[in-house]
Amino acid sequence: MTAVVETEGLTKFYGRRRGLEDLDLEIRPGEVFGYLGPNGAGKTTTIRLLLDVIRPTRGRMSVLGTDPRDPRVRGRIGYLPGELALEGRERASEYLAFLAGVRGGVSRDRITALAERLEADLSVPMGRLSKGNKQKVGLIQAFMHEPEFLILDEPTGGLDPLVQQEFLAMVREVRAAGRTVLMSSHVLAEVEDVADRVGIVRQGRLVAVEDVAALREKAVRRVEFHFDAPVPREEFEGLPGVRDLRVEGANLSCTIDGRPDALIKAAARFTVVHLVSAEPDLEEIFLTYYSEEEAHHARAGVQEPA
Amino acid sequence: MPALVSKSLRDHRRSLVRWTIGIGAFFALYLSFYPNISQNQDLYGDAALEKFPEAMRDLMGGLTGFTTGTGYLHGVVYQLFGPMLFVVCAAVLGNQAIARPEESGTLELTVTLPIDRRRLVFERFAALALGLLGVAAATFLLAWGLSVATDMGVAFDRILAAHTGVFLLGLLFGALSLAVGAAAGRRGPAMAVVGVVAVGGYIVETMGKNVDAVSWLRWVSPFHYYLDGKPLYQGFPGGDYLVLAGAAAVLLVVAILAFDRRDIGV
Ligand SMILES: Nc1ncnc2c1ncn2[C@@H]1O[C@H](COP(=O)(O)OP(=O)(O)O)[C@@H](O)[C@H]1O
Ligand SMILES: [Mg+2]
Repeated sequence: MTAVVETEGLTKFYGRRRGLEDLDLEIRPGEVFGYLGPNGAGKTTTIRLLLDVIRPTRGRMSVLGTDPRDPRVRGRIGYLPGELALEGRERASEYLAFLAGVRGGVSRDRITALAERLEADLSVPMGRLSKGNKQKVGLIQAFMHEPEFLILDEPTGGLDPLVQQEFLAMVREVRAAGRTVLMSSHVLAEVEDVADRVGIVRQGRLVAVEDVAALREKAVRRVEFHFDAPVPREEFEGLPGVRDLRVEGANLSCTIDGRPDALIKAAARFTVVHLVSAEPDLEEIFLTYYSEEEAHHARAGVQEPA
Repeated sequence: MPALVSKSLRDHRRSLVRWTIGIGAFFALYLSFYPNISQNQDLYGDAALEKFPEAMRDLMGGLTGFTTGTGYLHGVVYQLFGPMLFVVCAAVLGNQAIARPEESGTLELTVTLPIDRRRLVFERFAALALGLLGVAAATFLLAWGLSVATDMGVAFDRILAAHTGVFLLGLLFGALSLAVGAAAGRRGPAMAVVGVVAVGGYIVETMGKNVDAVSWLRWVSPFHYYLDGKPLYQGFPGGDYLVLAGAAAVLLVVAILAFDRRDIGV
């Protein structure tokens, strides 16, 4: 199957300012791809390139098998901009009807159903909608025509937690229907529950693409054991993946990297009264990519002649 | 009607109504003075107006025959203020096509619709032209009605000829503001260019008649192709109007090409 997005050396400079450099990215049909990076990393630049809002300085890309310059391909995409602007006296319902018309028609029931799901009031003039409500209107217009490919730039900004959950459910349904999603965020926590893969972009460059499942494997986990009697520290030292080991009487705590198997087997030799294992903090490993990058930059900085 | 055209017209509905009311009120106010002025030859006759400096009379379009219906209608409405009101109205509409929505960010969703960018500009221009036509048609009927009510004795087709010229002049400046806005993506430059071309063009055309140093510039002034043929006196200056319409078309093409080439919202 052909990729939904394929880029090669995709580069965008704003004048002399780098927006994105040499991006090689593939997004596969049916996956949810989380596009992560801090503010200014180049996420919006990438997305706007894919939609032909801005033009690449160099490089090549195809979206849904076509050059994004072809306006027809945009009919197969749903897009939520990172900075959504809705204004004026027009009601959201009228605006959505206009967008639906240009996109070849969407049943009113579908729009109503989405509005009810997200608890959006479409009868208010758009200029008076709160940020969260604008975001809901933006989500409705992105989802309403059931596009093959959804591009969502920081979709959860301004949404309250309940609506966020509903939105994530909508994304899962899209994936279940075999359609593809690209969503950007500056925090992993926002996408880790739905994304199959994440790409990490930093300072205009893609620094890693990871399977979320694999990322979980790598994740650092904090574990605590409480035994019925003090345990000898030596029994737990040097176990594969075990770090930051602390043994205080009958209590043991450590972090594990990867599989907990060896630790569990070692603990099984004693009587375990209580076990606490925190959710793996993907954010933490995600940040290690950044700190490595930063360390790299710091070294480069030192070597530079003054 | 294409979706973008009807959407733009709906968005501009209020502003178009306001412009119609504003321009209409201006016409009504000034034309209502006519009966008074036509009866005061010694105050407003040619001899009385001779006392103004020549350059100033040139700028006001000569200021002759002010006490006749045609002279008054021309001097007050069709020489300067009528065209300028239409120029500003059209320039504002031209800015609403691209530059304003680009500045506010609402253009982002529009350009990501499955619509060719060239068609987007074309349809926004069509909305501009239709909106301006609506304002022109309403104010034309008003001007004609008032001229009849105040006994000006100006023929229907002469008023139509002058009003058509005002509309075409407006259309040209609307296309100019659209073109600059489509190229620059900002309202400021569009308004600046329109301001310079309108004021400069008007001065060049009116003063240029008697100042040789600038008279050669008259042919580039849009106002030349409206004022020079004296439509209120002599009827439709067909060729001149074609130049205005042609220039608007050229500017539309420039707008389309410029917009198709560039990054949006950067
Ligand atoms: N219109 C612009 N003009 C100049 N620089 C820009 C523009 N848009 C983005 N940039 C720069 O490009 C880089 C990437 O920005 P962006 O793609 O918006 O990042 P993100 O969406 O990840 O926050 C940043 O350094 C930003 O300053
Ligand atoms: Mg962004």
